[in-house]
Amino acid sequence: MTRRPFTRLLATACLAAPLPLLAAAPAALDSDNETLARGAYLATASDCTACHTAPGGQPMAGGLEIASPLGAIIATNITPSKSHGIGDYSEADFVRALREGIRADGANLYPAMPYTAYGHLSDADIHALYVYFMEGVAPVDTPTAETALPFPMNLRVAMKGWNLLFHDAEPLEDDPERSAEWNRGRYLVEGPGHCSSCHTPRGFFMQERDDQALTGAQVGPWYAPDITPDVAAGIGSWRHDELVTYLRTGKLDQAQAAGSMAEAIEHSFQHLTEDDLGAIATYLEALPTAESSSQARSRFDHGEPGDELASFRGDGYAAGLSGDSRGAQLYSANCSSCHQADGSGTDDGYYPRLYQNGVLGDVNATNLIATILYGVDREVGDEHVFMPPFGEQPNAFNALNNDDVAVLANYLLARFGETDDDGHPILQVSADEVQEIREGGPRSPLILLARIGLGVGVVVLALLGLWLIRRRKARRR
Amino acid sequence: MQHSSPSPGVSRRKLLLGGVSLLGYFTFAGPTLAWAREFQGTPLHQRFMELSGRLINHRLDEGTGLRIAAFAAQKYAGLAGRVERIIAIADERDAQEVEQFFDAIPEEDRELAYWIIAAWYSGASSGASDAEQFTFEHALTYQTTLDIVPIPTYAFSAPNGWARAPAPLLPVPRF
Amino acid sequence: MTQPTSADVVIVGTGVVGVVVAEQLLDAGHSVLMLEAGPRVSRAEIVENYRNLPLGLKGSASSSYPPKPWAPHPMPGDDYLQLEGPDAYAQTYIRYAGGSTWHWAGTSWRLTPEDMRLNSLYGVGRDWVFDYDTLDPYYNMAEQKLGICGPSDPALQWPPRPRSAPYPMPPLPFSPGEEKFTRVMKEALGYTNLPVSQARNSGMPFDDRPACCGNNNCVPVCPIGAKYDAATALNRLEAKGAVILSNAVAHRIETGDGNRIEAVHYLDPERQEHRVTGKHFVIACNAIETPKLLLMSADSRNPGGIANSSDQVGRNMMDHPQLGLTLTLDEPYWLGQGPVVNSGIMETSQGDFRADHAGAYFRMNNFARNRYETFNALATGKVGRALDEEIRRRVACTVSIVAAHEILPDANNRLTLSAKKDWLGLPKPHVYYDVGDYTRRSAETYSMPIARRIAEAMGAVEVKEPSAFAQSKHLMGSTIMGDDPATSVVDSDCRAFDHPNLFLPGGGAMPSTACGNSTITMVALAFKAAEALTDQARGA
Repeated sequence: MTRRPFTRLLATACLAAPLPLLAAAPAALDSDNETLARGAYLATASDCTACHTAPGGQPMAGGLEIASPLGAIIATNITPSKSHGIGDYSEADFVRALREGIRADGANLYPAMPYTAYGHLSDADIHALYVYFMEGVAPVDTPTAETALPFPMNLRVAMKGWNLLFHDAEPLEDDPERSAEWNRGRYLVEGPGHCSSCHTPRGFFMQERDDQALTGAQVGPWYAPDITPDVAAGIGSWRHDELVTYLRTGKLDQAQAAGSMAEAIEHSFQHLTEDDLGAIATYLEALPTAESSSQARSRFDHGEPGDELASFRGDGYAAGLSGDSRGAQLYSANCSSCHQADGSGTDDGYYPRLYQNGVLGDVNATNLIATILYGVDREVGDEHVFMPPFGEQPNAFNALNNDDVAVLANYLLARFGETDDDGHPILQVSADEVQEIREGGPRSPLILLARIGLGVGVVVLALLGLWLIRRRKARRR
Repeated sequence: MQHSSPSPGVSRRKLLLGGVSLLGYFTFAGPTLAWAREFQGTPLHQRFMELSGRLINHRLDEGTGLRIAAFAAQKYAGLAGRVERIIAIADERDAQEVEQFFDAIPEEDRELAYWIIAAWYSGASSGASDAEQFTFEHALTYQTTLDIVPIPTYAFSAPNGWARAPAPLLPVPRF
Repeated sequence: MTQPTSADVVIVGTGVVGVVVAEQLLDAGHSVLMLEAGPRVSRAEIVENYRNLPLGLKGSASSSYPPKPWAPHPMPGDDYLQLEGPDAYAQTYIRYAGGSTWHWAGTSWRLTPEDMRLNSLYGVGRDWVFDYDTLDPYYNMAEQKLGICGPSDPALQWPPRPRSAPYPMPPLPFSPGEEKFTRVMKEALGYTNLPVSQARNSGMPFDDRPACCGNNNCVPVCPIGAKYDAATALNRLEAKGAVILSNAVAHRIETGDGNRIEAVHYLDPERQEHRVTGKHFVIACNAIETPKLLLMSADSRNPGGIANSSDQVGRNMMDHPQLGLTLTLDEPYWLGQGPVVNSGIMETSQGDFRADHAGAYFRMNNFARNRYETFNALATGKVGRALDEEIRRRVACTVSIVAAHEILPDANNRLTLSAKKDWLGLPKPHVYYDVGDYTRRSAETYSMPIARRIAEAMGAVEVKEPSAFAQSKHLMGSTIMGDDPATSVVDSDCRAFDHPNLFLPGGGAMPSTACGNSTITMVALAFKAAEALTDQARGA
């Protein structure tokens, strides 16, 4: 037993950290137009741009801050820039980054980069992606800021242990008992589509809970809902063609994409082939699903059009706000111009109905609150769908405070959401919940607990050392 | 083609149109819930809705009916009796539609009948600037043209989506 | 926290002119303090105010904006404006943060080159001191800032000449009624009904505001902010560092050495006095409140009022006198789809006849007709199906045609301070007004005959003609622009001749009105003034 066990432990750890690999010059690429095009298509299917292109920034030049429960993770420059991008990546470097989450200098990537999904990609596809990134993307010689998560999460070496425990993605092999369409769908969903990165709930260490695959998870201030065929909580009530339409356009009468899904549709899904969209739908529809919960109806099947206008119309705005119908008054003043007085939306469905709408009927009110605070911005084809925000943005239609949002949300849930036998909404929104979403979503206790854990560890080791010292002194006497 | 200049025309339904208020401000009667709540579900409210339905053969919003009834009770002495009288005339004729019994309403109750119809169609107690506002969204005037003209302040269609074939004058949409 | 009391530039008024100047100055790195007499309100509140109005009052645009006692603005039937003369200058405007663009229709007709040279070309009125080409770049800036949509077809341009920059957005579609009107006007009368340049988001979001959804309520308020109004700029200005004090009624402009403006004094709702200072000052309160403030601020250096050595402050009050006809047609036109003003016939505003009488522009107003026709239908005594059909027929088949005229500047059309006081003890404005023979002759010999031909071409079975001119609420002329300080108040940059650090951009500076709505020209002047002010501030 040494006198300073902790220091020795630290030294050992440092020695174990891998040295930066010398970058090998990339070999001349064995590429053709077809591979390049396939790489471009795969980059679209993988939606690299969603993270690696900042708003108003150059394609793939990074800089976007991704909100995670552990802090902001900044996407890197993955243009072939030799000074600030991946221009010096060999194909082996590229493969390692995508499959194992290790970058060329040997440091680990955070799983905000969904290498846990991309590990399912085939060798041929990763090759095509490499060709695309080396030859199909313009180099941008601009640096990005460094990600700096709070201690101890800034120690990327910790990801090695995490990967050992939780990362096991291998290239997928076709299941011969399933159709070609199903296999293609599985490949797209579990590989480039990385649907589980958002839609699968995560455990304490931020690992995907495979036993609850695609049953819904928090993504910053938004909620990526259950997309299993469960009728009540998932999308089992959707027809095949509806699911395809949703992926292509982000819109059905009963569901509209916002937040990260709107981005995914805009940058990725709307550009996929009809066959690929159909394959994704086929795979999702065939997922095994647990027994449906006690809810009898789907989350797209709640509520009815109606209004409470008689309670305050003609009385004056101030009176309407101060009375028992404050929620209805807020709805009328802020929402009804587009969503209509009774919540039925416009006849052409452009402004969505609020009854029989998946946001209002979901298992939590996260997306309802986030939609109110952040609005919707979705460009698909020629159409630019835009709902203004109601937070503190300069272009907020009206800056609603937490109480207002809560009162409004509770009105909407009571009228258009799921209610119990007595007609009361099963969900209740509090001002605190609104504040949490305003701040970007729930924070993980992982950092605090990790720090506490480390602190406890240090104290334990110190006490152990002290005990050992005293024992040795006692022996000498 | 007639040309006419505006003249101080005598309105046939003077009580409906009233005069223009000097104030020009809108006046609030106070929180509706306070004085209308008493009426909800009362026999008078129910009979008033019944009468409204006989005079106007369309789907009628109950909340709006509550407000109109409560105001009518203040405006017309003996409202309950008058409501019964008119309903009785409709029953006597076994009328399924207003056209089948309206002519038989006696002069002293005509004004109330017209007022009720105007209240539902205009959403207000009169055309004056200081009229009581019962409803805006449920005012029946908008229902007669909702296939082609929006209720002001409410979106009609997707952006730039309102250019559609001109609607025929008849039939009136069902409502 | 104490109220800020100083900035590089003090701007009185948060209407479209004030916010445009403010943003230019902020972007150039200057600090800006804005004073607004009235309250800051949310769009949500105004929309509900409108919905809560009874049907008979919904036609009064200012009724959705009840004024605060300390910042009165004209309301139907009140006596805030003391009016005198053969014609009543019965204007309305809004003293709220955001000003009168809260309720404007968004119509943005530019002047033509001829509109700016009435005196040289026709021997009447005043010339502008610069030409159309000088103003053109500022018009382009105005269109980008406000988000103005319009046609790219060269045959549909106003003024009828090639544009130097494209519209930010394509035009809004016509309703079936407007299509029909356009066809009829072309075939029967040879007139072109143009898509109007309008400050409305056409088919797309713009300026972080949603696209127009056709709710037909532009006047009195756009419920969703698809129409530009100055209120949409306020949060953005504050994000850029502007300080905006609302419920701050400026009542005295203070001068100092060299007759420079030193400060503006304002009263708050508790009638407490405050003083703000700056290096430069902009008064942009509209062409009634600006001259009122200038006249109220008379001091020993400026006994006739601030900026008034010419004695022209408050004179030359102008507007676009309107004649409105209501037609009953034998076939449906269906007004009410899309925005409330979507097109217009402008060619009738131009011509050599302007040596004799005013031009006029014609438009078919596109307000949904339920508000106008419901009580008329009820008055027929019909019930049941007959009533439904009567309302529907009237809504479909009645049409409002408006002829908007130009007017010449007349020094006798004048605003002075009346002896009557408002709630704060400030004088109410008094306005003497006569539209003048130039405009009356137009009605008699030109515009009404055209209007009757329009009615006939449309197959009108009944025509209700107006008995008097109505007001367009386009306030102009009262701080008139010129190159001679003896006969004008401001120079070509809207800088007051008398005070080197005072700017008065807006409708008040316009020396001619033409026929089209004045806002875009006011905004172009605001950009021009802001540019001059920025240059001046840099040199200072």
